[in-house]
Amino acid sequence: MKKLALLLPVALIAAPFFLKPYGIYLLSLWVVMTIAAIGLNLTLGYAGQISLAQGSFVGIGAYAAALLTSTGWPLWLAFLLAIALSLAIGWVLGYPALRVQHHYLAFVTLAFATLVFLVLRNEEWLTKGVYGITGIPRPTLFGWSTKGPIAFYFFCLGVLALVSAGTWWLVRSPWGRAFTALRENATRADSLGVDTRRYTLMAFAIGSALGGIAGVLYAPLIQFIEPNAFNLNLSLNLLLMVMVGGSGYFLGPFLGAAVSVLLPEWMRFGSEGLYLIFYGAAVMVLMALCPSGLLGLAERVFRR
Amino acid sequence: MSPVLEVRGLAKDFGGIRAVDGVSFDVREGEILGLIGPNGSGKSTLFNCILGQLAPSAGEVRIDGRAITGKRPCQLNRLGVGRTFQLLQVFPQLTVRENLILAGQEHQASMWSRLVGRRDAGLGPAADRMIEFFRLAQLAEEKAGALSYGQQKLLDVAMAFMAGPRLVLLDEPAGGVNPTMLAGLRERLREINAAQRATFVVIEHNMEFVMALCTRILVLAEGRIIAGGTPSEIRANPAVVEAYLGG
Repeated sequence: MKKLALLLPVALIAAPFFLKPYGIYLLSLWVVMTIAAIGLNLTLGYAGQISLAQGSFVGIGAYAAALLTSTGWPLWLAFLLAIALSLAIGWVLGYPALRVQHHYLAFVTLAFATLVFLVLRNEEWLTKGVYGITGIPRPTLFGWSTKGPIAFYFFCLGVLALVSAGTWWLVRSPWGRAFTALRENATRADSLGVDTRRYTLMAFAIGSALGGIAGVLYAPLIQFIEPNAFNLNLSLNLLLMVMVGGSGYFLGPFLGAAVSVLLPEWMRFGSEGLYLIFYGAAVMVLMALCPSGLLGLAERVFRR
Repeated sequence: MSPVLEVRGLAKDFGGIRAVDGVSFDVREGEILGLIGPNGSGKSTLFNCILGQLAPSAGEVRIDGRAITGKRPCQLNRLGVGRTFQLLQVFPQLTVRENLILAGQEHQASMWSRLVGRRDAGLGPAADRMIEFFRLAQLAEEKAGALSYGQQKLLDVAMAFMAGPRLVLLDEPAGGVNPTMLAGLRERLREINAAQRATFVVIEHNMEFVMALCTRILVLAEGRIIAGGTPSEIRANPAVVEAYLGG
């Protein structure tokens, strides 16, 4: 597993030089969705708080980037705004989790996801509604233009590296231990001095902020955004990525995003339009046989 | 000397049922107080009201003369109050060492420094000492979920002491522990009591364990204290025999 983790960066750096533009686009999309799934994995996998609203934070980040950069503001400012907005909104969204858990919490976050979608669709004065926002520019960083697909891919990969390093540090720190305790037994954690309320809110805030960061990259990647891209489907897809990869495993989102973003495209060739049926069946079989996801399955196999 | 723990007129109602009915008692520093009573007598409910897990319907709790009624469990823990639960409560996915570090880490520095500072929050040596003390050295890097029930129980108790509490409330520490381990547990508790002047309140059904460990015992029946005294006085009290065996 460790060798695989070391090989992954090398493969990711080399990959775009062997791919056509559509392949590079898919790989960039995988990077963006991995960042959003890392955020959800922190909230759900490590801290045990279900959220069906991660796609909404991708939307908040994407609209922050689109609105700011289309009017000439630099992308780093969009990053700051998206992080601040997602942190603050994520923190507030965490409050219901102090009162309700499991499927009740899922419904609260589902309502929030619907609310964000309605705002994006109906508040035309701000978001341009269903017409969407076009021509979102890609940034130039210290004189390095990221307009080309390979350059933008490396930009996204750099952000993923930073996010991964930060998350790796976080989950191995005392905060990560407290998140795990919150997931496994909040009552006991509370009795040991762990401020479970604050950690719950932080789990939501940090996870949401990572969703916002993914959104800031999503907008210039596609260069066109509209509300449907951030509806419940995206949140469910991100949930699928976390569950399929392995909830609570550091590399789970990487693998889960690959299954969700890359696998259907790969299966598309040669399956005469039946690929989505095969894909859906494969996911159902996996979840039925191994609810702890692919990494949970791998752990079981290697332990034997 | 003022008591470490003062409980005054504590009551808890569940609908029409009064589970704890105006209980008052003091616990002095260094004392090991046993709390016994038949099943359903309100012992665990009393613990949960003292420790903020349940909101009492009436009454007051003071620690070192300071009113703590309504404080959250994590706030009480930071005031030096530790506890164990009736049912086993360790974190199965964390190793034995990590369980112990977790049990003390929130007492270390600020929240921010716990993020940017050392992974063990500076508690590695203290955790190792606790592991040695509770004879868990061979299991330090094992996940807690892989331990036997008795070993998990020892870990559960050890966690309550990681933050160096002044007062520890132990809810059935002997439950499900084999006799050999039980003798070890009793010795460990006595050593901590002697070395740190730590004060214990122990709920226990194992009479042999509670009589050997405690310096004073209170008997609870139907939510009320019906007797109190030294272990030998309790043994000879007809009201206690009546409460346990019925008339």
